[in-house]
Amino acid sequence: MIADGAEDEEKWLAAGAAAFKQNAYYMQRAIDSNNLKDALKYSAQMLSELRTSKLSPHKYYDLYMRAFDELRKLEIFFMEETRRGCSVIELYELVQHAGNILPRLYLLCTAGSVYIKTKEAPAKEILKDLVEMCRGIQHPLRGLFLRSYLAQISRDKLPDIGSEYEGDADTVNDAVEFVLLNFTEMNKLWVRMQHQGPAREKERREKERSELRDLVGKNLHVLSQLEGVDLDMYRDTVLPRVLEQIVNCRDEIAQYYLMDCIIQVFPDEYHLQTLDVLLGACPQLQPSVDIMTVLSRLMERLSSYAALNAEVLPYFLQVEAFSKLNNAIGKVIEAQEDMPILSAVTLYSSLLKFTLHVHPDRLDYADQVLGSCIKQLSGKGKIDDIRATKELVTLLSAPLEKYNDVVTALKLTNYPLVMEFLDNETKRIMATVIIRSIMKNKTIITTAEKVEALLELIKGLINDLDEPQGLEVDEDDFEEEQNSVARLIHMLYNDDSEEMFKIISVLKNHFLTGGPKRLKFTVPPLVVSALKLIRRLPVEGDNPFGKEASVSATKIFQFLNQIIEALPNAPSPDLAFRLYLQCAEAANKCDEEPIAYEFFTQAYILYEEEISDSKAQVTALQLIIGTLQRMRVFGVENRDTLTHKATGYSAKLLKKPDQCRAVYACSHLFWLEDHDTIQDGERVLLCLKRALKIANSAQQMSGTARGSTGSVTLFIEMLNKYLYFYEKGIPQITVESVESLIQLVKNEESLTSEPSAESFFASTLRFMELKKEKGGAIGDRYEEIKL
Amino acid sequence: MPSRRRTLLKVIILGDSGVGKTSLMNQYVNKKFSNQYKATIGADFLTKEVQFEDRLFTLQIWDTAGQERFQSLGVAFYRGADCCVLVYDVNSMKSFDNLNNWREEFLIQASPSDPENFPFVLIGNKVDVDGGNSRVVSEKKAKAWCASKGNIPYFETSAKEGTNVEEAFQCIAKNALKSGEEEELYLPDTIDVGTSNQQRSTGCEC
Ligand SMILES: Nc1nc2c(ncn2[C@@H]2O[C@H](COP(=O)(O)OP(=O)(O)OP(=O)(O)O)[C@@H](O)[C@H]2O)c(=O)[nH]1
Ligand SMILES: [Mg+2]
Repeated sequence: MIADGAEDEEKWLAAGAAAFKQNAYYMQRAIDSNNLKDALKYSAQMLSELRTSKLSPHKYYDLYMRAFDELRKLEIFFMEETRRGCSVIELYELVQHAGNILPRLYLLCTAGSVYIKTKEAPAKEILKDLVEMCRGIQHPLRGLFLRSYLAQISRDKLPDIGSEYEGDADTVNDAVEFVLLNFTEMNKLWVRMQHQGPAREKERREKERSELRDLVGKNLHVLSQLEGVDLDMYRDTVLPRVLEQIVNCRDEIAQYYLMDCIIQVFPDEYHLQTLDVLLGACPQLQPSVDIMTVLSRLMERLSSYAALNAEVLPYFLQVEAFSKLNNAIGKVIEAQEDMPILSAVTLYSSLLKFTLHVHPDRLDYADQVLGSCIKQLSGKGKIDDIRATKELVTLLSAPLEKYNDVVTALKLTNYPLVMEFLDNETKRIMATVIIRSIMKNKTIITTAEKVEALLELIKGLINDLDEPQGLEVDEDDFEEEQNSVARLIHMLYNDDSEEMFKIISVLKNHFLTGGPKRLKFTVPPLVVSALKLIRRLPVEGDNPFGKEASVSATKIFQFLNQIIEALPNAPSPDLAFRLYLQCAEAANKCDEEPIAYEFFTQAYILYEEEISDSKAQVTALQLIIGTLQRMRVFGVENRDTLTHKATGYSAKLLKKPDQCRAVYACSHLFWLEDHDTIQDGERVLLCLKRALKIANSAQQMSGTARGSTGSVTLFIEMLNKYLYFYEKGIPQITVESVESLIQLVKNEESLTSEPSAESFFASTLRFMELKKEKGGAIGDRYEEIKL
Repeated sequence: MPSRRRTLLKVIILGDSGVGKTSLMNQYVNKKFSNQYKATIGADFLTKEVQFEDRLFTLQIWDTAGQERFQSLGVAFYRGADCCVLVYDVNSMKSFDNLNNWREEFLIQASPSDPENFPFVLIGNKVDVDGGNSRVVSEKKAKAWCASKGNIPYFETSAKEGTNVEEAFQCIAKNALKSGEEEELYLPDTIDVGTSNQQRSTGCEC
């Protein structure tokens, strides 16, 4: 019975240690006075403390270590005794007089150690005797510690190759036999613990067993350290015998731990050469054994072995490590019917990492792993275990991380099929992982076919998936995802216009069927891509090969029209509006008048029908006027229609100052410096006069509403416009009109109350002075203005 | 009791898994090295006789498992250590960063009588790797750490090539000897130990 509380246990340990120390003291005194008889008596009494059943393994180990230290002194004393003429054989007999078996066996082992050192008998005989005698202790805890004492004192006395204890009669075989026997016996003791005591103490028992495991595992460490355990010895004797014990003990804890030990304590090169045997044992283990962790660790070890030693790679191929592992995993999964999906996925994930590391050039291997994984997953529907899902993401990320190139991953035909097992949210996560990898590595995807494959992979971001009811995607997440798709578009590129057109067409098809929510993110960069493509097209008639180019600007403009048209008007019609104007400008550069006109018309329609906010109207109109001003492609008629409308819109703005500014801005539409067919002074004047009139009425309105100011600024702005056209020498803009405008501003009484207007006016006057001083034709014109 | 001449010196080697603790011990004790990695399970010791100032000592070198899962029984064997050797791999920053943990863990568990002055020795191993090109912990950095911990002696070794191993262990032995860790002083009371023991013992008669 072990004491219930930890406190009790401390008490027992303290009591044990006290009695222990007392006996150790007398033992030492006997040693100091060379009294063998007393030394044996007190050491036996001291060792009696190890007969306790009250301590947990940890505390027992504490006591054991004290005994261990004391026994070293006794051993040295024994050694000295033999030098003084005491026969070691007699000594070996003598210690067996101890009354209790446990102290007796500790003393026997200690004497045995000296016996071997004196070489008066073959080491193997003594070792055999000791390992057999230890059978006398069948209490698991005490037996395990006693045997680990035996293992420890024999550690440097095994007849290993090159050891001083090796001889004709003593070979490494004897050493191996000895350790294997001790190992087997220890494992039996350890396993037996599981079945002793009442069922309700199972948990505590398992905890204790787990604390004791290293005593058993240590034997494997000893075996691995033996020089004589070469590959042959390992393959022919050690591994089969150890595995036999592991399989036959049918104990979950032992099997799991010892498999792990084998993998860790023996070198990789042995594992590689004995994969069949090692893997063959796996399906024979108890179904509850966590074989997943065991195999994952094996693969991890082998991967890093390959990573560190390039020269061993041929062996991996030679022994067909990959297919063996692949098969073994399949068998294990088959054998363990209840294996959770997480374990299966983790196994394949490790296998994939293994093959990516060891055989980076064998994409077919990677694809096979994915294929096997699919086989396991199919029929089970979407995975709902969160950790399994995570592991699947790890698995799918592995090829991206390895190759830093999504193009390689796109070659894995099973890749998209694995993705099918993910739930929608994880699909999106995986898609962002893919996009991030592309962006990070600046991977350019160059063909429509690959783009198609890529879009298939990231379709979680491209399409509205059937979301289960009530599962709303977070707004911010959605935006971020869509922005990443937008950035991705710039990575899809080919210098060849034809292929590039195919690429953007693929994108169009996917985007247009992917639901309206995402278009505002995806259409603009697609427009940019298309416009860039237009710019790259050879100028018409400039095709030296006479080959009929299948991509024409017209075709791309059509394309543009289609995608912009698809943009939903709510909630932001101005996006489509801007894009239309951009396209119009592009068409202008391509000299495509009807197309440019069409785009303008579309923009106008949106302006009229969709843009209703007054502020938005102002900016939209600025954009219209600015763009229209840059257009050169239009003939008189089209141009008239468009400018006419623009001035019309201007006059209809909600606020007077906005009206005024828009109208005077329209004046620029009629006078283009570099374009002598568009120089219509009359209409410039008309615009300016109309603007002036609006400014006047704005002033009247503000006059009635006291305190509101600003109209004087409008007049100064008008003055600047007048000066601009006056300087250009437009005959309709007379010096008188300028002068009277100056006078008008000067008379404005609110001028002095508005510092900003005042300084604006002052700088306008200074500007005129400067022009005058500069002289020349322009100076002359300014000279004419009388202030 | 007159202070007996100490002849056994106990040394504990600690450090992350794979830094070369076992390799160092094997190189020192057996003059052998293997490229293969074989994890250590539990604690394991080898002994070596050393001569020092005309006296012979037995150095008991405890090699430990760097992998936590192979240290299931705890560290009772720390008790009575005369010197603690901390090992890191000069090519692994993590193994260097973990030195603090190993040191503190040792001081807590072994609870030496004078923790301030308990002898540690630091070894930076694997200096041979890649001709020193993959090294990530500089000698300066390691020495600064040693200085901050009360001037711990420092050695840079290669267990593979045997460089500096002998020197390091010489120093370890010297410091172990100087450590002044006395065995627990025990003065017996007058009870007859033979009988008191029998009364208390409740274990089965095996
Ligand atoms: N190049 C080189 N390799 C070394 C050196 N020392 C050890 N190694 C290698 O490093 C690996 C690990 O060495 P071990 O001595 O087993 O490491 P450990 O610290 O005992 O590891 P654990 O037992 O897991 O705590 C082995 O493959 C050794 O061959 C060295 O000085 N140079
Ligand atoms: Mg080791």
